[in-house]
Amino acid sequence: MKALEAKKHKRSRSTRFRNNLSGWALILPSVLLLFLIVWRPVGMAFYYSLFRLQGMKAVEFVGLQNFKDVITDTAFLQTVFNTVKYVFWSLIIGMPIPFFCAVMINEMVVGKGFFKFALYLPVIVPTVATCLIWKLLYMDGEGGLINALLYFVGIGPADWLSNKTLTIPLIIVAATWQGFGSTLIMYLAALQSVDQNLYEAARIDGAGFWKRFWHILLPHMRGIILLMAIRQIIGVFQITEQPLVMTGGGPNGASMSLGLTNYFYAFQYGQFDKSMALGVVSFLFLIGLTFIYFKLDRKFSE
Amino acid sequence: MKTFSDKTNGLLNFMELKQFRYRIIYGIMMALLIIVSLACLLPILWIVLSGFKTPAEMYSIPPQLLPSGFSLEPVKNIWVKVNFFKYFGNTLMEICGALIFDLVINGLAGYVLSRIRPKGSAVLETIVFGTMLLPSVSMVPLYMTFVNMPILHINLTGSFLPLWMQAGCNAFTIMLFRSFFNGIPMDYLEAARIDGCSNIKIFFKIILPLSKPIIVVETIFCVIYSWKNFMWPYLILGSTERETVSILLYQISSGSMSITMPEIMLVIMFSIIPPGLFYALFSKQIMGGMNMSGIKG
Repeated sequence: MKALEAKKHKRSRSTRFRNNLSGWALILPSVLLLFLIVWRPVGMAFYYSLFRLQGMKAVEFVGLQNFKDVITDTAFLQTVFNTVKYVFWSLIIGMPIPFFCAVMINEMVVGKGFFKFALYLPVIVPTVATCLIWKLLYMDGEGGLINALLYFVGIGPADWLSNKTLTIPLIIVAATWQGFGSTLIMYLAALQSVDQNLYEAARIDGAGFWKRFWHILLPHMRGIILLMAIRQIIGVFQITEQPLVMTGGGPNGASMSLGLTNYFYAFQYGQFDKSMALGVVSFLFLIGLTFIYFKLDRKFSE
Repeated sequence: MKTFSDKTNGLLNFMELKQFRYRIIYGIMMALLIIVSLACLLPILWIVLSGFKTPAEMYSIPPQLLPSGFSLEPVKNIWVKVNFFKYFGNTLMEICGALIFDLVINGLAGYVLSRIRPKGSAVLETIVFGTMLLPSVSMVPLYMTFVNMPILHINLTGSFLPLWMQAGCNAFTIMLFRSFFNGIPMDYLEAARIDGCSNIKIFFKIILPLSKPIIVVETIFCVIYSWKNFMWPYLILGSTERETVSILLYQISSGSMSITMPEIMLVIMFSIIPPGLFYALFSKQIMGGMNMSGIKG
Protein backbone atom coordinates (compact mmCIF):
# COMPACT_ATOMS: atom_id res chain seq x y z
CA MET A 1 0.00 0.00 0.00
CA LYS A 2 2.69 2.37 1.02
CA ALA A 3 4.75 1.47 -1.99
CA LEU A 4 1.83 2.23 -4.26
CA GLU A 5 1.31 5.61 -2.62
CA ALA A 6 4.95 6.46 -2.98
CA LYS A 7 4.92 5.42 -6.60
CA LYS A 8 1.89 7.57 -7.28
CA HIS A 9 3.49 10.45 -5.49
CA LYS A 10 6.65 10.03 -7.45
CA ARG A 11 4.78 9.93 -10.72
CA SER A 12 2.77 13.01 -9.93
CA ARG A 13 5.99 14.79 -9.03
CA SER A 14 7.57 13.85 -12.29
CA THR A 15 4.51 14.88 -14.28
CA ARG A 16 4.47 18.15 -12.41
CA PHE A 17 8.09 18.64 -13.30
CA ARG A 18 7.36 17.82 -16.92
CA ASN A 19 4.43 20.20 -16.80
CA ASN A 20 6.61 23.02 -15.50
CA LEU A 21 9.28 22.29 -18.04
CA SER A 22 6.96 22.29 -21.03
CA GLY A 23 5.17 25.36 -19.68
CA TRP A 24 8.39 27.30 -19.53
CA ALA A 25 9.49 26.01 -22.90
CA LEU A 26 6.26 27.18 -24.52
CA ILE A 27 6.39 30.66 -23.02
CA LEU A 28 10.12 31.10 -23.56
CA PRO A 29 9.90 32.77 -27.02
CA SER A 30 7.44 35.27 -25.66
CA VAL A 31 9.56 36.09 -22.62
CA LEU A 32 12.68 36.45 -24.75
CA LEU A 33 10.95 38.84 -27.14
CA LEU A 34 9.43 40.89 -24.34
CA PHE A 35 12.86 41.24 -22.80
CA LEU A 36 14.62 42.00 -26.06
CA ILE A 37 12.06 44.38 -27.57
CA VAL A 38 10.42 46.04 -24.62
CA TRP A 39 12.48 45.91 -21.44
CA ARG A 40 16.06 45.95 -22.63
CA PRO A 41 15.60 49.07 -24.82
CA VAL A 42 14.33 51.00 -21.79
CA GLY A 43 17.49 50.15 -19.89
CA MET A 44 19.59 50.97 -22.94
CA ALA A 45 17.98 54.39 -23.27
CA PHE A 46 18.67 55.26 -19.63
CA TYR A 47 22.23 53.96 -19.90
CA TYR A 48 23.25 55.43 -23.25
CA SER A 49 21.65 58.81 -22.58
CA LEU A 50 24.52 59.39 -20.14
CA PHE A 51 27.14 58.90 -22.85
CA ARG A 52 28.29 60.70 -25.94
CA LEU A 53 27.73 58.35 -28.85
CA GLN A 54 29.62 58.11 -32.06
CA GLY A 55 27.36 56.25 -34.41
CA MET A 56 26.12 53.52 -32.08
CA LYS A 57 29.20 53.29 -29.88
CA ALA A 58 29.48 55.00 -26.51
CA VAL A 59 32.70 56.96 -26.59
CA GLU A 60 32.60 59.16 -23.50
CA PHE A 61 30.67 59.36 -20.26
CA VAL A 62 29.12 62.80 -20.12
CA GLY A 63 26.69 62.54 -17.21
CA LEU A 64 23.60 64.66 -17.74
CA GLN A 65 25.11 66.71 -20.56
CA ASN A 66 22.77 65.23 -23.19
CA PHE A 67 19.76 66.13 -21.09
CA LYS A 68 21.10 69.64 -20.66
CA ASP A 69 21.68 69.95 -24.42
CA VAL A 70 18.21 68.72 -25.24
CA ILE A 71 16.42 70.94 -22.75
CA THR A 72 18.40 74.09 -23.47
CA ASP A 73 17.93 73.70 -27.23
CA THR A 74 16.33 76.90 -28.53
CA ALA A 75 13.42 74.99 -30.04
CA PHE A 76 12.74 72.83 -26.97
CA LEU A 77 10.26 75.11 -25.20
CA GLN A 78 8.39 75.72 -28.44
CA THR A 79 8.21 71.98 -29.04
CA VAL A 80 6.88 71.26 -25.57
CA PHE A 81 4.32 74.00 -26.04
CA ASN A 82 3.35 72.55 -29.43
CA THR A 83 2.94 69.10 -27.93
CA VAL A 84 0.67 70.53 -25.25
CA LYS A 85 -1.25 72.24 -28.04
CA TYR A 86 -1.64 68.90 -29.85
CA VAL A 87 -2.98 67.30 -26.66
CA PHE A 88 -5.28 70.26 -25.98
CA TRP A 89 -6.82 70.21 -29.44
CA SER A 90 -7.16 66.45 -29.41
CA LEU A 91 -9.18 66.72 -26.22
CA ILE A 92 -11.36 69.50 -27.68
CA ILE A 93 -11.90 67.84 -31.07
CA GLY A 94 -11.22 64.18 -30.48
CA MET A 95 -13.07 63.55 -27.21
CA PRO A 96 -16.67 64.72 -27.78
CA ILE A 97 -17.09 63.41 -31.35
CA PRO A 98 -16.81 59.66 -30.67
CA PHE A 99 -18.79 59.95 -27.45
CA PHE A 100 -21.76 61.79 -28.90
CA CYS A 101 -21.72 59.70 -32.04
CA ALA A 102 -21.87 56.56 -29.92
CA VAL A 103 -24.78 57.91 -27.90
CA MET A 104 -26.63 58.89 -31.07
CA ILE A 105 -25.95 55.61 -32.87
CA ASN A 106 -27.27 53.80 -29.83
CA GLU A 107 -30.56 55.67 -30.19
CA MET A 108 -31.06 54.84 -33.86
CA VAL A 109 -33.84 52.49 -34.86
CA VAL A 110 -32.65 52.00 -38.43
CA GLY A 111 -29.22 52.53 -39.96
CA LYS A 112 -27.22 51.49 -36.91
CA GLY A 113 -25.18 49.08 -38.98
CA PHE A 114 -24.51 51.62 -41.72
CA PHE A 115 -23.42 54.35 -39.32
CA LYS A 116 -21.09 51.99 -37.50
CA PHE A 117 -19.64 50.84 -40.80
CA ALA A 118 -19.13 54.36 -42.13
CA LEU A 119 -17.68 55.82 -38.95
CA TYR A 120 -15.24 52.97 -38.47
CA LEU A 121 -14.09 52.92 -42.10
CA PRO A 122 -11.32 55.55 -41.70
CA VAL A 123 -9.70 53.34 -39.04
CA ILE A 124 -8.63 50.80 -41.66
CA VAL A 125 -7.05 53.38 -43.98
CA PRO A 126 -3.24 53.28 -43.68
CA THR A 127 -1.92 56.08 -41.48
CA VAL A 128 0.25 57.55 -44.21
CA ALA A 129 -2.65 57.40 -46.67
CA THR A 130 -4.82 59.31 -44.17
CA CYS A 131 -2.15 61.96 -43.82
CA LEU A 132 -1.86 62.21 -47.59
CA ILE A 133 -5.61 62.41 -48.12
CA TRP A 134 -5.90 65.25 -45.63
CA LYS A 135 -2.81 66.97 -46.94
CA LEU A 136 -4.53 66.99 -50.34
CA LEU A 137 -7.83 68.15 -48.84
CA TYR A 138 -6.06 71.07 -47.17
CA MET A 139 -3.98 71.83 -50.24
CA ASP A 140 -3.52 75.52 -50.96
CA GLY A 141 -5.02 76.78 -54.20
CA GLU A 142 -8.04 75.33 -56.01
CA GLY A 143 -6.70 71.76 -56.17
CA GLY A 144 -7.66 71.05 -52.55
CA LEU A 145 -11.19 69.88 -51.88
CA ILE A 146 -11.82 72.37 -49.08
CA ASN A 147 -10.73 75.29 -51.22
CA ALA A 148 -12.74 73.91 -54.15
CA LEU A 149 -15.85 73.81 -51.96
CA LEU A 150 -15.11 77.30 -50.65
CA TYR A 151 -14.91 78.49 -54.24
CA PHE A 152 -18.51 77.50 -54.81
CA VAL A 153 -19.57 79.41 -51.71
CA GLY A 154 -17.71 82.35 -53.12
CA ILE A 155 -14.75 82.54 -50.73
CA GLY A 156 -11.29 82.67 -52.26
CA PRO A 157 -8.73 79.96 -51.57
CA ALA A 158 -7.35 80.10 -48.04
CA ASP A 159 -4.10 78.79 -46.59
CA TRP A 160 -4.53 75.77 -44.38
CA LEU A 161 -1.56 73.71 -43.24
CA SER A 162 0.81 76.53 -44.12
CA ASN A 163 -1.03 78.77 -41.67
CA LYS A 164 0.92 78.79 -38.41
CA THR A 165 -2.06 79.00 -36.08
CA LEU A 166 -4.17 76.43 -37.90
CA THR A 167 -1.65 73.74 -38.60
CA ILE A 168 -1.88 71.86 -35.28
CA PRO A 169 -5.69 71.81 -35.06
CA LEU A 170 -5.85 70.72 -38.69
CA ILE A 171 -3.44 67.85 -38.08
CA ILE A 172 -5.58 66.85 -35.09
CA VAL A 173 -8.70 66.88 -37.29
CA ALA A 174 -6.99 64.40 -39.61
CA ALA A 175 -5.82 62.26 -36.69
CA THR A 176 -9.33 62.32 -35.19
CA TRP A 177 -10.86 61.32 -38.50
CA GLN A 178 -8.54 58.35 -38.54
CA GLY A 179 -8.88 57.26 -34.95
CA PHE A 180 -12.28 58.13 -33.54
CA GLY A 181 -13.96 55.00 -34.91
CA SER A 182 -12.17 52.69 -32.53
CA THR A 183 -12.98 54.87 -29.52
CA LEU A 184 -16.59 55.01 -30.67
CA ILE A 185 -16.88 51.22 -30.69
CA MET A 186 -15.73 51.10 -27.09
CA TYR A 187 -18.23 53.74 -26.03
CA LEU A 188 -20.94 51.77 -27.84
CA ALA A 189 -19.98 48.64 -25.95
CA ALA A 190 -20.12 50.53 -22.66
CA LEU A 191 -23.53 51.96 -23.53
CA GLN A 192 -24.99 48.46 -23.79
CA SER A 193 -24.55 47.99 -20.06
CA VAL A 194 -26.66 50.96 -18.96
CA ASP A 195 -29.42 49.64 -16.73
CA GLN A 196 -32.62 50.17 -18.75
CA ASN A 197 -34.71 50.10 -15.58
CA LEU A 198 -33.10 53.34 -14.50
CA TYR A 199 -34.43 55.02 -17.64
CA GLU A 200 -37.86 53.56 -16.95
CA ALA A 201 -37.84 54.77 -13.37
CA ALA A 202 -36.69 58.22 -14.48
CA ARG A 203 -39.47 58.35 -17.06
CA ILE A 204 -42.05 57.58 -14.42
CA ASP A 205 -40.61 60.37 -12.30
CA GLY A 206 -41.04 62.66 -15.28
CA ALA A 207 -37.38 63.17 -16.17
CA GLY A 208 -37.01 64.39 -19.75
CA PHE A 209 -34.45 63.51 -22.39
CA TRP A 210 -31.72 65.81 -21.15
CA LYS A 211 -32.22 64.91 -17.50
CA ARG A 212 -31.89 61.23 -18.35
CA PHE A 213 -28.80 61.95 -20.38
CA TRP A 214 -27.26 64.02 -17.61
CA HIS A 215 -28.18 61.96 -14.57
CA ILE A 216 -28.14 58.37 -15.85
CA LEU A 217 -26.12 58.02 -19.04
CA LEU A 218 -23.30 60.40 -18.19
CA PRO A 219 -22.54 59.04 -14.70
CA HIS A 220 -22.52 55.53 -16.14
CA MET A 221 -20.01 56.53 -18.81
CA ARG A 222 -17.80 58.72 -16.63
CA GLY A 223 -15.24 55.98 -16.01
CA ILE A 224 -14.69 55.03 -19.61
CA ILE A 225 -14.63 58.66 -20.73
CA LEU A 226 -11.82 59.36 -18.27
CA LEU A 227 -10.02 56.24 -19.42
CA MET A 228 -10.27 57.24 -23.07
CA ALA A 229 -9.10 60.76 -22.23
CA ILE A 230 -5.90 59.53 -20.57
CA ARG A 231 -5.33 57.01 -23.33
CA GLN A 232 -5.66 59.78 -25.85
CA ILE A 233 -3.31 62.09 -23.96
CA ILE A 234 -0.70 59.34 -23.89
CA GLY A 235 -1.16 58.65 -27.60
CA VAL A 236 -1.18 62.25 -28.80
CA PHE A 237 1.75 63.15 -26.58
CA GLN A 238 3.85 60.88 -28.79
CA ILE A 239 2.42 62.09 -32.11
CA THR A 240 5.10 61.67 -34.79
CA GLU A 241 3.86 60.23 -38.05
CA GLN A 242 1.13 62.78 -38.77
CA PRO A 243 3.31 65.91 -38.55
CA LEU A 244 6.14 64.06 -40.30
CA VAL A 245 4.01 63.24 -43.32
CA MET A 246 1.73 66.27 -43.39
CA THR A 247 4.04 69.17 -42.62
CA GLY A 248 7.49 67.85 -41.77
CA GLY A 249 7.25 69.99 -38.62
CA GLY A 250 6.62 73.22 -40.52
CA PRO A 251 5.76 75.91 -41.23
CA ASN A 252 8.84 77.17 -39.45
CA GLY A 253 8.61 74.61 -36.65
CA ALA A 254 4.98 75.43 -35.87
CA SER A 255 3.91 71.77 -35.89
CA MET A 256 7.06 70.26 -34.36
CA SER A 257 6.12 67.76 -31.65
CA LEU A 258 8.31 66.03 -29.07
CA GLY A 259 7.94 62.76 -30.96
CA LEU A 260 9.00 64.33 -34.23
CA THR A 261 11.97 66.10 -32.59
CA ASN A 262 13.00 62.76 -31.19
CA TYR A 263 12.74 61.19 -34.62
CA PHE A 264 14.72 64.00 -36.24
CA TYR A 265 17.47 63.78 -33.61
CA ALA A 266 17.86 60.10 -34.32
CA PHE A 267 17.26 59.58 -38.00
CA GLN A 268 17.87 63.01 -39.53
CA TYR A 269 20.80 64.38 -37.52
CA GLY A 270 22.17 61.02 -36.33
CA GLN A 271 22.35 62.20 -32.71
CA PHE A 272 21.25 58.99 -31.04
CA ASP A 273 22.43 60.14 -27.61
CA LYS A 274 20.23 63.21 -27.63
CA SER A 275 17.30 61.26 -28.99
CA MET A 276 17.55 58.85 -26.08
CA ALA A 277 17.88 61.66 -23.55
CA LEU A 278 14.70 63.23 -24.90
CA GLY A 279 13.11 59.78 -24.92
CA VAL A 280 13.90 59.31 -21.24
CA VAL A 281 12.35 62.68 -20.38
CA SER A 282 9.07 61.87 -22.13
CA PHE A 283 9.19 58.32 -20.78
CA LEU A 284 9.21 59.56 -17.20
CA PHE A 285 6.27 61.82 -17.89
CA LEU A 286 4.31 59.12 -19.68
CA ILE A 287 4.92 56.48 -17.06
CA GLY A 288 3.17 58.73 -14.56
CA LEU A 289 0.18 59.05 -16.88
CA THR A 290 0.14 55.34 -17.66
CA PHE A 291 0.13 54.56 -13.99
CA ILE A 292 -2.99 56.66 -13.52
CA TYR A 293 -4.54 55.03 -16.58
CA PHE A 294 -4.17 51.50 -15.26
CA LYS A 295 -5.32 52.50 -11.80
CA LEU A 296 -8.51 53.79 -13.42
CA ASP A 297 -8.78 50.88 -15.81
CA ARG A 298 -8.70 48.35 -12.99
CA LYS A 299 -11.39 50.35 -11.27
CA PHE A 300 -13.68 50.76 -14.26
CA SER A 301 -13.14 47.78 -16.51
CA GLU A 302 -15.65 45.64 -14.63
CA MET B 1 -37.55 46.48 -41.22
CA LYS B 2 -37.56 47.79 -37.70
CA THR B 3 -39.95 50.53 -36.72
CA PHE B 4 -40.20 52.98 -33.87
CA SER B 5 -42.53 50.66 -31.98
CA ASP B 6 -39.67 48.16 -31.56
CA LYS B 7 -37.56 50.61 -29.67
CA THR B 8 -37.46 49.87 -25.96
CA ASN B 9 -33.80 50.56 -25.16
CA GLY B 10 -31.88 53.77 -24.80
CA LEU B 11 -32.63 57.32 -23.86
CA LEU B 12 -35.80 57.44 -25.97
CA ASN B 13 -38.42 54.71 -26.16
CA PHE B 14 -41.28 54.08 -28.56
CA MET B 15 -43.84 55.87 -26.41
CA GLU B 16 -41.86 59.07 -26.53
CA LEU B 17 -41.09 58.77 -30.18
CA LYS B 18 -44.79 59.32 -30.83
CA GLN B 19 -44.41 62.84 -29.46
CA PHE B 20 -43.40 65.59 -31.81
CA ARG B 21 -40.61 67.10 -29.73
CA TYR B 22 -38.86 63.76 -29.27
CA ARG B 23 -39.19 63.09 -32.96
CA ILE B 24 -37.38 66.36 -33.55
CA ILE B 25 -34.54 65.27 -31.24
CA TYR B 26 -34.39 61.94 -33.05
CA GLY B 27 -34.35 63.69 -36.41
CA ILE B 28 -31.52 66.00 -35.34
CA MET B 29 -29.50 63.04 -34.11
CA MET B 30 -29.98 61.22 -37.36
CA ALA B 31 -29.04 64.30 -39.38
CA LEU B 32 -25.86 64.75 -37.34
CA LEU B 33 -24.93 61.13 -37.85
CA ILE B 34 -25.47 61.43 -41.58
CA ILE B 35 -23.17 64.47 -41.62
CA VAL B 36 -20.46 62.61 -39.70
CA SER B 37 -20.84 59.59 -41.98
CA LEU B 38 -20.40 61.83 -45.00
CA ALA B 39 -17.33 63.37 -43.40
CA CYS B 40 -15.93 59.87 -43.07
CA LEU B 41 -16.84 58.67 -46.54
CA LEU B 42 -16.42 61.77 -48.71
CA PRO B 43 -12.65 62.21 -48.43
CA ILE B 44 -12.20 58.61 -49.54
CA LEU B 45 -14.72 59.01 -52.34
CA TRP B 46 -13.07 62.26 -53.44
CA ILE B 47 -9.69 60.54 -53.65
CA VAL B 48 -11.14 57.76 -55.77
CA LEU B 49 -12.94 60.17 -58.10
CA SER B 50 -10.04 62.58 -58.43
CA GLY B 51 -7.77 59.73 -59.43
CA PHE B 52 -9.63 59.60 -62.72
CA LYS B 53 -9.20 63.31 -63.49
CA THR B 54 -6.62 64.64 -65.86
CA PRO B 55 -4.03 66.96 -64.30
CA ALA B 56 -5.70 69.88 -66.08
CA GLU B 57 -9.08 69.04 -64.56
CA MET B 58 -7.41 68.85 -61.15
CA TYR B 59 -6.41 72.52 -61.19
CA SER B 60 -9.19 73.93 -63.34
CA ILE B 61 -11.08 77.06 -62.34
CA PRO B 62 -13.91 76.75 -61.47
CA PRO B 63 -12.94 73.56 -59.65
CA GLN B 64 -14.31 70.39 -61.11
CA LEU B 65 -15.59 67.89 -58.57
CA LEU B 66 -16.19 65.01 -60.95
CA PRO B 67 -13.82 63.66 -63.58
CA SER B 68 -14.97 63.96 -67.18
CA GLY B 69 -14.69 60.23 -67.76
CA PHE B 70 -13.57 56.98 -66.27
CA SER B 71 -10.89 55.20 -68.20
CA LEU B 72 -8.92 52.32 -66.80
CA GLU B 73 -5.85 53.32 -68.79
CA PRO B 74 -4.33 55.64 -66.14
CA VAL B 75 -5.06 53.07 -63.44
CA LYS B 76 -3.10 50.46 -65.36
CA ASN B 77 -0.32 52.91 -66.16
CA ILE B 78 0.32 54.00 -62.60
CA TRP B 79 0.12 50.41 -61.36
CA VAL B 80 2.95 49.55 -63.71
CA LYS B 81 4.80 52.85 -63.21
CA VAL B 82 5.21 52.59 -59.44
CA ASN B 83 5.44 48.80 -59.64
CA PHE B 84 2.68 48.57 -57.06
CA PHE B 85 2.66 44.82 -57.20
CA LYS B 86 6.07 44.67 -55.55
CA TYR B 87 4.98 46.84 -52.63
CA PHE B 88 1.79 44.87 -52.34
CA GLY B 89 3.69 41.59 -52.20
CA ASN B 90 6.10 42.95 -49.59
CA THR B 91 3.21 44.12 -47.43
CA LEU B 92 1.66 40.67 -47.74
CA MET B 93 4.94 39.13 -46.59
CA GLU B 94 5.04 41.50 -43.63
CA ILE B 95 1.46 40.65 -42.72
CA CYS B 96 1.76 36.86 -43.04
CA GLY B 97 4.90 36.68 -40.92
CA ALA B 98 3.50 39.09 -38.38
CA LEU B 99 0.33 37.03 -38.16
CA ILE B 100 2.19 33.77 -37.54
CA PHE B 101 4.45 35.33 -34.90
CA ASP B 102 1.49 37.09 -33.29
CA LEU B 103 -0.79 34.06 -33.07
CA VAL B 104 1.81 31.44 -32.18
CA ILE B 105 3.99 33.30 -29.70
CA ASN B 106 1.34 35.42 -27.99
CA GLY B 107 -1.17 32.58 -28.17
CA LEU B 108 1.18 30.10 -26.53
CA ALA B 109 2.08 32.62 -23.85
CA GLY B 110 -1.58 33.19 -23.12
CA TYR B 111 -2.15 29.43 -22.99
CA VAL B 112 0.73 28.88 -20.58
CA LEU B 113 -0.39 31.67 -18.27
CA SER B 114 -3.98 30.52 -18.34
CA ARG B 115 -3.92 26.73 -18.41
CA ILE B 116 -0.48 25.23 -17.71
CA ARG B 117 0.54 27.66 -15.00
CA PRO B 118 4.05 26.34 -14.34
CA LYS B 119 5.98 27.28 -11.24
CA GLY B 120 6.75 30.98 -11.43
CA SER B 121 3.62 31.94 -13.36
CA ALA B 122 3.01 34.79 -10.97
CA VAL B 123 6.37 36.30 -11.89
CA LEU B 124 5.64 35.87 -15.59
CA GLU B 125 2.28 37.51 -15.20
CA THR B 126 3.85 40.48 -13.47
CA ILE B 127 6.31 40.81 -16.34
CA VAL B 128 3.57 40.73 -18.95
CA PHE B 129 1.38 43.13 -17.03
CA GLY B 130 4.33 45.45 -16.45
CA THR B 131 4.94 45.46 -20.18
CA MET B 132 1.48 46.86 -20.73
CA LEU B 133 2.28 49.68 -18.33
CA LEU B 134 5.52 50.56 -20.05
CA PRO B 135 5.39 53.51 -22.45
CA SER B 136 7.83 53.53 -25.35
CA VAL B 137 11.12 55.28 -24.84
CA SER B 138 12.53 56.62 -28.12
CA MET B 139 12.90 54.34 -31.14
CA VAL B 140 16.67 54.43 -31.00
CA PRO B 141 17.54 51.64 -28.54
CA LEU B 142 15.27 49.18 -30.32
CA TYR B 143 16.71 50.26 -33.64
CA MET B 144 20.20 49.69 -32.24
CA THR B 145 19.07 46.26 -31.10
CA PHE B 146 17.95 45.35 -34.60
CA VAL B 147 21.12 46.69 -36.19
CA ASN B 148 23.28 44.69 -33.84
CA MET B 149 21.45 41.80 -32.19
CA PRO B 150 22.87 40.98 -28.77
CA ILE B 151 24.95 37.77 -28.60
CA LEU B 152 24.39 36.95 -32.29
CA HIS B 153 25.83 40.24 -33.58
CA ILE B 154 23.87 40.19 -36.78
CA ASN B 155 22.13 43.06 -38.52
CA LEU B 156 18.43 42.40 -39.02
CA THR B 157 17.55 45.66 -40.78
CA GLY B 158 16.49 45.08 -44.33
CA SER B 159 14.67 41.88 -43.38
CA PHE B 160 11.11 41.37 -42.21
CA LEU B 161 12.21 39.69 -39.01
CA PRO B 162 12.22 42.82 -36.77
CA LEU B 163 8.61 43.56 -37.74
CA TRP B 164 7.56 39.98 -37.15
CA MET B 165 9.32 39.93 -33.81
CA GLN B 166 7.47 43.06 -32.77
CA ALA B 167 4.18 41.43 -33.73
CA GLY B 168 5.09 38.41 -31.61
CA CYS B 169 5.65 40.58 -28.60
CA ASN B 170 2.41 42.20 -27.54
CA ALA B 171 1.40 42.04 -23.90
CA PHE B 172 -2.15 43.15 -24.70
CA THR B 173 -2.58 40.23 -27.06
CA ILE B 174 -1.16 37.81 -24.51
CA MET B 175 -3.71 39.04 -21.99
CA LEU B 176 -6.46 38.81 -24.60
CA PHE B 177 -5.60 35.16 -25.27
CA ARG B 178 -5.21 34.44 -21.57
CA SER B 179 -8.64 35.73 -20.68
CA PHE B 180 -10.16 33.79 -23.56
CA PHE B 181 -8.46 30.53 -22.53
CA ASN B 182 -9.62 31.09 -18.96
CA GLY B 183 -13.10 30.44 -20.28
CA ILE B 184 -12.25 26.92 -21.53
CA PRO B 185 -13.24 24.37 -18.87
CA MET B 186 -10.30 22.72 -17.11
CA ASP B 187 -12.12 19.33 -17.26
CA TYR B 188 -11.42 19.01 -20.97
CA LEU B 189 -7.73 19.45 -20.40
CA GLU B 190 -7.66 17.14 -17.36
CA ALA B 191 -9.35 14.42 -19.35
CA ALA B 192 -6.84 14.77 -22.16
CA ARG B 193 -3.97 14.80 -19.72
CA ILE B 194 -5.15 11.55 -18.10
CA ASP B 195 -5.24 10.04 -21.57
CA GLY B 196 -1.58 10.94 -21.80
CA CYS B 197 -1.69 14.04 -23.98
CA SER B 198 1.29 16.35 -23.71
CA ASN B 199 0.80 20.06 -23.20
CA ILE B 200 1.70 20.92 -26.75
CA LYS B 201 -0.63 18.22 -28.07
CA ILE B 202 -3.44 19.55 -25.89
CA PHE B 203 -2.83 22.99 -27.33
CA PHE B 204 -3.15 21.84 -30.93
CA LYS B 205 -5.86 19.19 -30.46
CA ILE B 206 -8.16 20.83 -27.92
CA ILE B 207 -7.37 24.49 -27.37
CA LEU B 208 -6.92 25.55 -30.99
CA PRO B 209 -10.21 24.16 -32.33
CA LEU B 210 -12.06 25.88 -29.48
CA SER B 211 -10.27 29.16 -30.07
CA LYS B 212 -11.65 30.06 -33.47
CA PRO B 213 -13.38 33.26 -32.29
CA ILE B 214 -10.29 34.71 -30.65
CA ILE B 215 -8.09 33.71 -33.58
CA VAL B 216 -10.42 35.43 -36.01
CA VAL B 217 -10.44 38.61 -33.93
CA GLU B 218 -6.69 38.67 -33.45
CA THR B 219 -6.12 37.95 -37.14
CA ILE B 220 -8.26 40.91 -38.10
CA PHE B 221 -6.47 43.24 -35.69
CA CYS B 222 -3.08 42.01 -36.83
CA VAL B 223 -3.82 42.33 -40.54
CA ILE B 224 -5.26 45.82 -40.24
CA TYR B 225 -2.49 46.98 -37.94
CA SER B 226 0.25 45.54 -40.15
CA TRP B 227 -1.22 47.11 -43.24
CA LYS B 228 -1.32 50.52 -41.51
CA ASN B 229 2.07 50.15 -39.89
CA PHE B 230 4.50 52.76 -41.14
CA MET B 231 7.25 53.93 -38.82
CA TRP B 232 9.04 50.66 -38.14
CA PRO B 233 8.71 49.25 -41.65
CA TYR B 234 10.16 52.56 -42.86
CA LEU B 235 13.11 52.43 -40.45
CA ILE B 236 13.81 48.75 -41.06
CA LEU B 237 12.97 48.30 -44.74
CA GLY B 238 13.31 51.84 -46.15
CA SER B 239 15.33 52.04 -49.38
CA THR B 240 15.62 48.27 -49.71
CA GLU B 241 13.92 45.86 -52.08
CA ARG B 242 11.38 45.05 -49.38
CA GLU B 243 9.55 48.37 -49.09
CA THR B 244 5.88 48.14 -48.14
CA VAL B 245 2.85 50.09 -49.35
CA SER B 246 3.08 52.57 -46.46
CA ILE B 247 6.68 53.34 -47.37
CA LEU B 248 5.68 53.91 -50.97
CA LEU B 249 3.01 56.36 -49.82
CA TYR B 250 5.55 58.22 -47.70
CA GLN B 251 7.98 58.47 -50.60
CA ILE B 252 5.21 59.89 -52.73
CA SER B 253 4.27 62.43 -50.08
CA SER B 254 7.84 63.57 -49.56
CA GLY B 255 8.12 64.24 -53.27
CA SER B 256 10.95 61.85 -54.02
CA MET B 257 9.08 60.42 -56.99
CA SER B 258 7.95 62.26 -60.10
CA ILE B 259 4.25 61.63 -60.17
CA THR B 260 1.18 63.68 -61.04
CA MET B 261 -1.59 64.59 -58.62
CA PRO B 262 -4.21 62.18 -60.04
CA GLU B 263 -1.62 59.43 -59.99
CA ILE B 264 -0.97 60.08 -56.30
CA MET B 265 -4.68 59.67 -55.68
CA LEU B 266 -4.77 56.40 -57.57
CA VAL B 267 -1.92 55.04 -55.47
CA ILE B 268 -3.78 56.08 -52.32
CA MET B 269 -6.81 54.26 -53.72
CA PHE B 270 -4.71 51.12 -54.27
CA SER B 271 -3.59 51.30 -50.65
CA ILE B 272 -7.16 51.52 -49.37
CA ILE B 273 -8.82 48.83 -51.48
CA PRO B 274 -7.26 45.71 -49.88
CA PRO B 275 -8.00 46.66 -46.26
CA GLY B 276 -11.33 48.04 -47.48
CA LEU B 277 -12.36 44.68 -48.91
CA PHE B 278 -11.08 42.97 -45.79
CA TYR B 279 -13.15 45.35 -43.68
CA ALA B 280 -16.27 44.84 -45.78
CA LEU B 281 -15.96 41.09 -45.23
CA PHE B 282 -15.24 41.19 -41.52
CA SER B 283 -16.88 44.34 -40.18
CA LYS B 284 -19.23 42.28 -37.98
CA GLN B 285 -16.34 40.46 -36.35
CA ILE B 286 -14.45 43.71 -35.87
CA MET B 287 -17.34 45.28 -33.99
CA GLY B 288 -17.75 42.14 -31.89
CA GLY B 289 -14.02 41.81 -31.38
CA MET B 290 -13.78 45.30 -30.00
CA ASN B 291 -16.12 44.30 -27.23
CA MET B 292 -14.15 41.15 -26.62
CA SER B 293 -10.82 42.84 -26.41
CA GLY B 294 -11.94 45.66 -24.17
CA ILE B 295 -9.18 48.22 -24.26
CA LYS B 296 -7.09 46.85 -27.07
CA GLY B 297 -7.20 49.30 -29.99
